[in-house]
Amino acid sequence: MADKYLVQPDIDFINEIRGTGGETLKKCFQCATCSVACPIAPDRKPFPRKEMIAASWGLKDKLLPNPDIWLCHNCGDCTAQCPRGAKPGDVMASLRMMTIREYAGPKSVANALSDPKKLPLLLVIPAVIFIVLGLITGLLDFSPERVHGGIVHSEFFSHWLVDIVFVPLTIWAVAIFAMGLKRFIGDIHKNAVSEGKTDKQGIEVKGFIAALIKVIPVILKHSRFSECGENNDRATPHMMVLFSFIALFIVTSVAFIMLYVFNHHGPYSQLNPVKILANVGGIALIIGAALLIKQRLDKTDEVSTYKDWYLLWLVLGLGVTGMLTELLRLADAAFLTYLFYFIHLILVFNLIAFLPFSKLAHLVYRTVAMAYNEYSEREVKKA
Amino acid sequence: MSEAQGAPLSGSIMVVGGGISGLTTALEAAEVGYEVFIVEKNPYLGGRVAQLKQYFPKLCPPTCGLEINFRRIKDNPRIKFFTLADVEKVEGSPGNYNVSIKLNPRYVNENCTCCGACADACQSEIPNEFNFGMDKTKGAYLPHEMAFPARYVISPQIIGTEDAKRCKEACPYDAVDLDMQPGTMDLNVGAIVWATGWEPYDAAKIDNLGFGQYPNIITNMMLERQAAPNGPTGGKIVRPSDNKAPESVAFVQCAGSRDENHLPYCSYICCMASLKHATYIREQYPEAKVYIFYIDLRTPGYRYEKFYGKVKEDENVEFIKGKVAAVEDGGNGRVTVVAEDAVSGEKVQQTVDMVVLATGMQPTAVNAKLPAADLKYTEEGFIINDLEKGGMFATGCANKPADVMMSNQNATGIALKAIQTMMKR
Repeated sequence: MADKYLVQPDIDFINEIRGTGGETLKKCFQCATCSVACPIAPDRKPFPRKEMIAASWGLKDKLLPNPDIWLCHNCGDCTAQCPRGAKPGDVMASLRMMTIREYAGPKSVANALSDPKKLPLLLVIPAVIFIVLGLITGLLDFSPERVHGGIVHSEFFSHWLVDIVFVPLTIWAVAIFAMGLKRFIGDIHKNAVSEGKTDKQGIEVKGFIAALIKVIPVILKHSRFSECGENNDRATPHMMVLFSFIALFIVTSVAFIMLYVFNHHGPYSQLNPVKILANVGGIALIIGAALLIKQRLDKTDEVSTYKDWYLLWLVLGLGVTGMLTELLRLADAAFLTYLFYFIHLILVFNLIAFLPFSKLAHLVYRTVAMAYNEYSEREVKKA
Repeated sequence: MSEAQGAPLSGSIMVVGGGISGLTTALEAAEVGYEVFIVEKNPYLGGRVAQLKQYFPKLCPPTCGLEINFRRIKDNPRIKFFTLADVEKVEGSPGNYNVSIKLNPRYVNENCTCCGACADACQSEIPNEFNFGMDKTKGAYLPHEMAFPARYVISPQIIGTEDAKRCKEACPYDAVDLDMQPGTMDLNVGAIVWATGWEPYDAAKIDNLGFGQYPNIITNMMLERQAAPNGPTGGKIVRPSDNKAPESVAFVQCAGSRDENHLPYCSYICCMASLKHATYIREQYPEAKVYIFYIDLRTPGYRYEKFYGKVKEDENVEFIKGKVAAVEDGGNGRVTVVAEDAVSGEKVQQTVDMVVLATGMQPTAVNAKLPAADLKYTEEGFIINDLEKGGMFATGCANKPADVMMSNQNATGIALKAIQTMMKR
């Protein structure tokens, strides 16, 4: 920490934390129980006690570019042991949402994602885009033909239309992440240096990538998550959701290649390994998301904000509409399967377009922060 | 004092609890001419203060203060006290209360000279509550060497056994009376003062601090008993697992205090108590290291600040701002306490020979409901004084956490409040 630091409290920032899940923030009296209660805080400059005082003082510049808020996995152990009911876990969660908002532009999209009243708009926009684009290009057919007597979704919603929308959308999401991350990585390094969390002078790309490769198995295995006490039961459903997404990403990529390289159309046979992977992924996604929702509902001592619910219901919705689309196709219910397919695509649009703005962005920020923490050699004991 | 100057005497006062607060209220009221009954559940008067080695900040033994009070009681015919007595029923209104008191048998009468023959004859042993179970006493015992009244007690646990008979036979003064039966007594009093005091918060409830799990984690009151010359170790501070002299001791401040999961309030005395304990340890063991982990040290007032300043000068006493939130096995009976030093922002793992939990005070009334229906309590179980209504009052730690000095001041004031109830009659 620098010897001199001019404290510039930002009252609006304090109120914003308190308004987005960190209501209890001001109860903190800095006993530091939380930093010890946390099973994953490092010995060197542990969290979240220092984040709690910075938040109480409204020190935005010490919090949003702070990698530690991402090292936190929201175990809730700090909140359970907090003698004051200050709920550090909820404050950290609120800070993460604010960081996502801070690093993702345009701000109007970020704001729309924070406002429950804008939810209908977020759902209507993709529907309008699909219909307008589909009608102009003729790629959306409201009276689709059957192929060999069976239902084929691309007869209703052409795969060309899917790709015209989703390929640019993916590029947009990646571009927004790229811009945000460039700033984010620089900022977290500056923060770590100023708070004495690292001895590294700068960010060296090779070392950083090596660190990233090292943390990926940690993330996949949920090794950190499993160290949690209070919310330990979330680790398994979270893992189910993560692996489902990975599985479904693989399925989509394979289908994309099969279509454009080998000109092989769906639907695939139920015995096709890709189809099996898709089905397993879809079911795991539904179970995982449903369990996470149930755990949040049962845990009344932890704040769940609109952003938590948006993501969880979106994930569950994706799983349910995806599986229903398939099942209704197999049941030969043409209208219903097309309807659910349409809804499914609206939800996929929400997932991809708003990925850098929604809570799901933690996928990227936490990964980067964990990689940075590894790179910074903070947990390497000083000789 | 002389009768002639006495106030109009119309009714008597019952004081429940014979600790320092109860004694003070009783004496202050009696010495202006009122009849006072002290009802004490223990076999002796003096309460928690009798368990202390020294008062802070003067570091003098409490026995001298208690002795003066006992002398005053002996000299004052207007004070009647009952030990081993429980208030069972309270009915009535300010100025006119009917009280039922249960008198439990001591099985030893006034003939006792404290010769100790009964204890010598007794073979069975019982846990010594006065020393928080750190040692045992015989089934016939003197609660502690300064006990007032100075009279042995036969534990109900040995009544009906051969041991009880052996005690009776051994007594050369015919003081052991095994046929004593519990009795009841009814009193009519004008005012009641509840001086029911406090109990150390049950450290076993604080599951992250390892009390009961590691033998070398003790409480502040246990350390006080160890350090007291009449305690289980004869005044030597030792670690319980092997009676070794500790080379290092860590104090965990606010153990279960200022904590919504335990006692939400500050018990006021624990910071000063730990500072005092640091002086005990440093006096006995000039090489020993003391670590005091705190949230913030509360030493209010000029004298307490000065005391803190003096302890801080000791290079072997280290203060770490950060609450201990976890304990681990440190090997060889040692314990490692874990905290975040909030000043440096680094996690501290300090391995020590012994850990002392500075636990707080819980009002006795929380675990032993008082028989008066119209008392009002705070959420934490402290009695709220309704001075306007009068009649019944709480003093000392039954009312709020306090040190001895504050308790005495408060008890004196409450004596006046009790007297005012009588004047309104």
